[in-house]
Amino acid sequence: MGVITEKTPLPKVKPVKFILNWGRRYSLWVFNFGLACCSIEFISASAAKNDFIRLGVIPFAHGPRQADLLLVAGTVTDKMAPVINRLYEQMPEPKYVISFGSCSNCGGPYWDSYAVTKGVDQIIPCDVYVPGCPPRPEALLQGIITLQEKIKNEDIQEKFRSGTSAVS
Amino acid sequence: MGRRLSPDDLGSRLRARFGDDVEVLDVFGDAVATVPVDRYHDAVRFCRDEPEFGCDFCDFTGGVDLGDDGFEVVTQLFSTTNKHSVRLKVRLPRDEPSIPTVSDLFPTCDWHERELMEMFGIAIEGHPRPVKLLLSEPFEGHPLRKDFALMSREAKPWPGAVEGEEDEDE
Repeated sequence: MGVITEKTPLPKVKPVKFILNWGRRYSLWVFNFGLACCSIEFISASAAKNDFIRLGVIPFAHGPRQADLLLVAGTVTDKMAPVINRLYEQMPEPKYVISFGSCSNCGGPYWDSYAVTKGVDQIIPCDVYVPGCPPRPEALLQGIITLQEKIKNEDIQEKFRSGTSAVS
Repeated sequence: MGRRLSPDDLGSRLRARFGDDVEVLDVFGDAVATVPVDRYHDAVRFCRDEPEFGCDFCDFTGGVDLGDDGFEVVTQLFSTTNKHSVRLKVRLPRDEPSIPTVSDLFPTCDWHERELMEMFGIAIEGHPRPVKLLLSEPFEGHPLRKDFALMSREAKPWPGAVEGEEDEDE
């Protein structure tokens, strides 16, 4: 999806928008940023029983430069925050972020810690927040469906114009 | 191949070497030796090089904040051949605590001492790379000191009971 930029001439025809978004939302290359126990739930959600690959979250990106979806699962520390920011900047537009679990949502049980960033949305913009400590794999499935609903109704030019990222 | 020494035997050998400077206790089967800061490096070297001790492995170097009594640095040594442990403790003053490095004897102490530096503000003399290990570089303060203020708790006090204060309410 990195080939689409804000200068790509996309006619404002409804079927084109529908097909484009249909293709985009069922081909989310996911980049797992697992930092703590939530990552185990993410792995469980990807494995046979819950299997988010059937929702089109396929395949696992080899690195941020191939990814459409960044999944931050776990405790973000101040030491790790610049790394997340850097990997997010490396992802091609349009890109999406799911914050998975209480720690990456708001700091969670480490609300008074000296070392934990109180929410990954202080560094990068988030599209979907999945609550829980840790959330069950089913919660992640719901989060992915929520994100797909968001992509379905999205105007891609508007997404670029809104400037969710510093890199264009 | 040596033999396992009891804490009393370890203590008597340490006292024979360091005299009255060292104070040895038997704590749950481990020899716990309190040494003054200027004998600390010698004591670690002695435990490592003395064949009867044979402490060839350093478990950890850690710190304790004792409040007004200053700080305590704890170094746990273990002998993989003789199967006994020696715990060395050093008392440091509250103002400008400083201790010589033992990373020249045990390279594993390098990171432990860097953690000691950032968490307690204890200076390590002669450390090869005295920079922060776990905290981010612009971090100010020493978070494992008891007087370190957690800003989140300043804004919103801990909602539950605090350990140690529960009895006062009863």
